[in-house]
Parts: sequence; structure tokens; C-alpha cells
Amino acid sequence: MRQFFSELSRSKAGLAGFILLVLFVALAVLAPWLGLEDPTRGSLRARMTAPTWDGFWPGAHPLGTDEVGRDILSRIVHGSRTTLAVAGAAVVAGGIVGTFLGILAGYAGGLTDRILMRLVDIQLAIPLMMLALLVVAALGPSIQNVIMVLALTSWIRYARIIRGQVLSLREREFVQSARAIGASGWRIMLRHILPNVMTPALVVATLELARIIVMDAALSFLGLGVQPPNPSWGRMLADGRVYISTAWWSVTFPGLAIMLTVLGVNLFGDWLRDYFDPKTRSAR
Amino acid sequence: MAEPLLEVRNLIRTYGGNRSLLGGARPVLHAVNDISFHVAAGETLGLVGESGSGKSTAGRVTLQLEPADGGSVRFAGQEITGLSPRQLKPVRRQMQMIFQDPYAALNPRMRVGSFVAEPLVVHGEDAHKDRIADLFRIVGLDPAFMTRYPHEFSGGQRQRICIARAIALKPSFIVADEPITALDVSIQAQIVNLFQDLQDQLGLAYLFIAHDLSMVRYLCQRVAVMLRGRIVETASVEQIFSNPQHPYTRSLLDAIPVPDPDRPRRKRLAFDVASNIPPREAVMAEIAPGHFVLQP
Repeated sequence: MRQFFSELSRSKAGLAGFILLVLFVALAVLAPWLGLEDPTRGSLRARMTAPTWDGFWPGAHPLGTDEVGRDILSRIVHGSRTTLAVAGAAVVAGGIVGTFLGILAGYAGGLTDRILMRLVDIQLAIPLMMLALLVVAALGPSIQNVIMVLALTSWIRYARIIRGQVLSLREREFVQSARAIGASGWRIMLRHILPNVMTPALVVATLELARIIVMDAALSFLGLGVQPPNPSWGRMLADGRVYISTAWWSVTFPGLAIMLTVLGVNLFGDWLRDYFDPKTRSAR
Repeated sequence: MAEPLLEVRNLIRTYGGNRSLLGGARPVLHAVNDISFHVAAGETLGLVGESGSGKSTAGRVTLQLEPADGGSVRFAGQEITGLSPRQLKPVRRQMQMIFQDPYAALNPRMRVGSFVAEPLVVHGEDAHKDRIADLFRIVGLDPAFMTRYPHEFSGGQRQRICIARAIALKPSFIVADEPITALDVSIQAQIVNLFQDLQDQLGLAYLFIAHDLSMVRYLCQRVAVMLRGRIVETASVEQIFSNPQHPYTRSLLDAIPVPDPDRPRRKRLAFDVASNIPPREAVMAEIAPGHFVLQP
């Protein structure tokens, strides 16, 4: 752990990404205790208020209000809860399914491998956004369905990378040795292969997190994500774009929130990949 | 004579062949081509040959880590080729393997104590810490090391961990696939001594795979020499060293360094493997009791 942070502090980009990520997660977790306005209650008298700043001190609406007078800062902070929860759940669900199927394909080989990998090929041939729209449109927009559909677009990336790792791991002597003592296939997959693919799975997970946040925002933008009045970043963009010429703040700040989160995750993910790669590691 | 512990007859293992989806048949490589040998209880058979001669494959097929493409392997009176994994499990208690590269043979993400205990867990035996500690002591390791991870150990220590794991179930037969090749010379002797001590204590039989004859002399009672998937000569260690018959055996003997600087070096027999592939129709002939040579 200490080594992790000392390595992290040496990379400016990695550290910046890590700080951004921690900041947004902290905001999301602490949202109810930050003394912000109710994100769902507007005041029509205060609609379309420009960001209020008193010199360097934030006023009542530091990031302005939207077309029904709801505080944008509060909506961004509360929106980060849904965004991060949905994205986190989708990454975990996709990661578990994808890692499991990747291990199965790589270790079992033969027909199992061929069927799973052709499934991956087929899904890669379908535009992910179209697939997501199709599923959400068919099942209806709810948080569970959004998580499911995002996980569905995600498992293939884990499966492919993990399978490749497993192909080389299964020929390693400790796996042969496990077979020689009579260990079952399940035991070998869980005890010997899974712990050795956790690192690549973790790296894929961070990179997927960024992609899924964007995709979640896109689904919300199209009205298929979290339903109003609950705040979500993509929805705020969609609602605010009508007023972009008169109230620039209604789209700028939600857009910035998406951008900074994704940037943070990407920077941190890139650094994490280098950190776990023994080749770049020894070069440092 | 009673049936030996392990009896391998006419074992065949091929790679390649008609398995590619596109294009024609790939050429068939006979990695192990019609070999027979036996190992008695408590005995050590050396299996010697150069890289690619099929000796490691022979070891793996003997343990059914790879399927045989022909021939039979009888262990303790039971035919074990073609058994299902479930049927093989009780057999696996009795036979174990030790690998060449102790760096690849340990799971880097598993504490070495759990790694040594795993065979006991798999076979539903008591894997109490005291029992693992005993295994560590038998192979000459401090039981306090149990909670450590493999990267904290040297090559010789790692090989001792592998040996502890292999003897955990008190097997009667161990295939040791070049277990000392990857180790420092000073460590090699220690591990060879450990092998001998364990044999005395536990009555183990070994199939000791090596690529040169120097250590085989100290450890083995009999030797089988492999060349291009065939066994070209089988004899007791004394017979091999005093009366080698096959030219390949002689070239292996000449490759052993002589520790006496005053003794003139033996002339190297130039043995060209490529032009000495054993012909398919060659058969073994017994030239002295227990001494078989492949006749050209």
C-alpha cells in the first residue's frame, strides 16, 4: 500500500486522476450532509438564475439554477450518486460475468471456448448504443435495466482479455501441478487461475468505468436512463440544451462534471495499467 | 517376479496431425514413440535424453497429465490410461510430479503453506497447521515460512516447497522432471540428497528425468536413454557406465566433465542426432541380463 502511493505520487497524471476520482466519490457519498438544497424542488421565482458569486464567496446558487429553479450544484452532486452507483454496479456485474466466462473459455477450451468467443464476435459486430437502446426500449427504463444493459455491453471486454491470460496460465507448471494432485477443474479455476487474472481484470474495470459513465450519460440524455425528477448528468444536459444560448450554465456544469470524472478515471486507469505491467515497472 | 509398481508398455504420444480447421493435415510428430519401461517400488529409474527427445512428455503421459495416443500404463496393478478424472483421483494420491522450473511451479498468489496443504485439502484429509509444519521440517524448511508468498524464496527453497507438496499425500511414486536443472550447482547436491533421504524414509520410487548422466549416477539404479521419442538403451547404472552400447549413450557419457585435470580428456564422439534417427522397424534386444539396446 505504501509502495502504491509512493509510485502514484511520482506520476502527475495518475495522481491527478486519483484525486479527481476520490473527490467525486467523496461528494457522492457525502451529498446529504453537505447542506445543499433539495435537488428535486425548484422555485419558479428563482428559475434560470445565473451563477451567484459574491466576490470569491459562493452565493445561494454558485452554479446557477435550471429552467424550474432547481439548484444546479445540488443536482450535479446528487446526480453523481446515481451516476457512480449505476456505473459502479454495471462495472462490477460486467466484470464478474466477463471474468468468469473468460476463465471458462480459456481453461475449458474446445467447444465451450469456440461458442463463447463467437458470441463475443457477434456482439462486437452490433453497435453497443443500438443494443442498449433496444434492450432499454423493450424492458423499460429503470435503474436495474440500465445497469443490466451497461453490464451487457461490458462483459465482452473482460472475457477477451482474461481468456488470453488464461491460455498462458493454464500451461504454467503450478496449474499442471494442481492437476497432478487431482484438483478439480473448478478448484483450479478458482484457486489458481482467478487470483492470477485479478490484476488485468482490475485494469479493464477502471477503463470500462470511464466508458460506462459516458454511456450512462448518453442513455439519460436520450431519456432512457434514470427518470425525472431524480437528477442525472445526462438528463441535465438534455434539458438544458434548449436554453444553451440564454443560460450557458445549465449545460456547461453537468458537461464539465462528466468530463472531469471520465478524465479522472482514464488517467488513473492508464497509470494503473502501467503500474501492474512488470515491463514498464522495471523501466522506472 | 512380482509386478513392478509402474509398468509402461508401448506408450505413444503424438502432436499435430489432422486437427487444423483450414488447410491440410499438419505433420504428425511422435513425441513419444512406442516406449516401454518399468519402475519397481522404492527404485529410481533415470530417464535421460537431450531437449526434445520426449522425456518430459513421457513423464507427463505416465501421470496422465496428457492423454496417451497408444499403449498402456499400469500402476499398482491397475490400468490407468483412459480413466475419467473421477476414476483417476484415487490414483493421483499415489503418484506426484516435481517440475523443472521452481519459479513457475508455485502459484505466485498463494501462500506457500496453503500450497503445500492443497493436496490434503483436495483429498479431504486433515490439513492442520501442525501437519504442514511437519512437511516443512521434513524438506528442511522453517515452518515459520508457511505464511509467506513464493517470491520471497530462493530457487532451492522453492524446490523444497514443491517437494513438500508432492510428498504431502505420502505417494509411492514421483516423477521428477529435471528437478535440479534450474538450480545453482551448490544447491543441486542438497536437493539430490533430499531426494535420497526421502526415498529412504518413505520408500518412494522415482522416475528421474535428466538431460545429462552426471547426477543420474548418484541417484538412480537403472537408466533409460531416450532419443527422438524412442528408448535406445536401458540398463543398470553400472552397465551404462561400464559398457555403453548405443552410440548416443556413449556421446552422453563423454559429455560428463571429468573432475581430474591430469586425466586426459576422452575424445568426444561426434554424434549427429539428425542422421541417427532410430528407424521405425528397430527393436530392442537384450545383450546382457537387464541390458537392452535398440538394434539399428
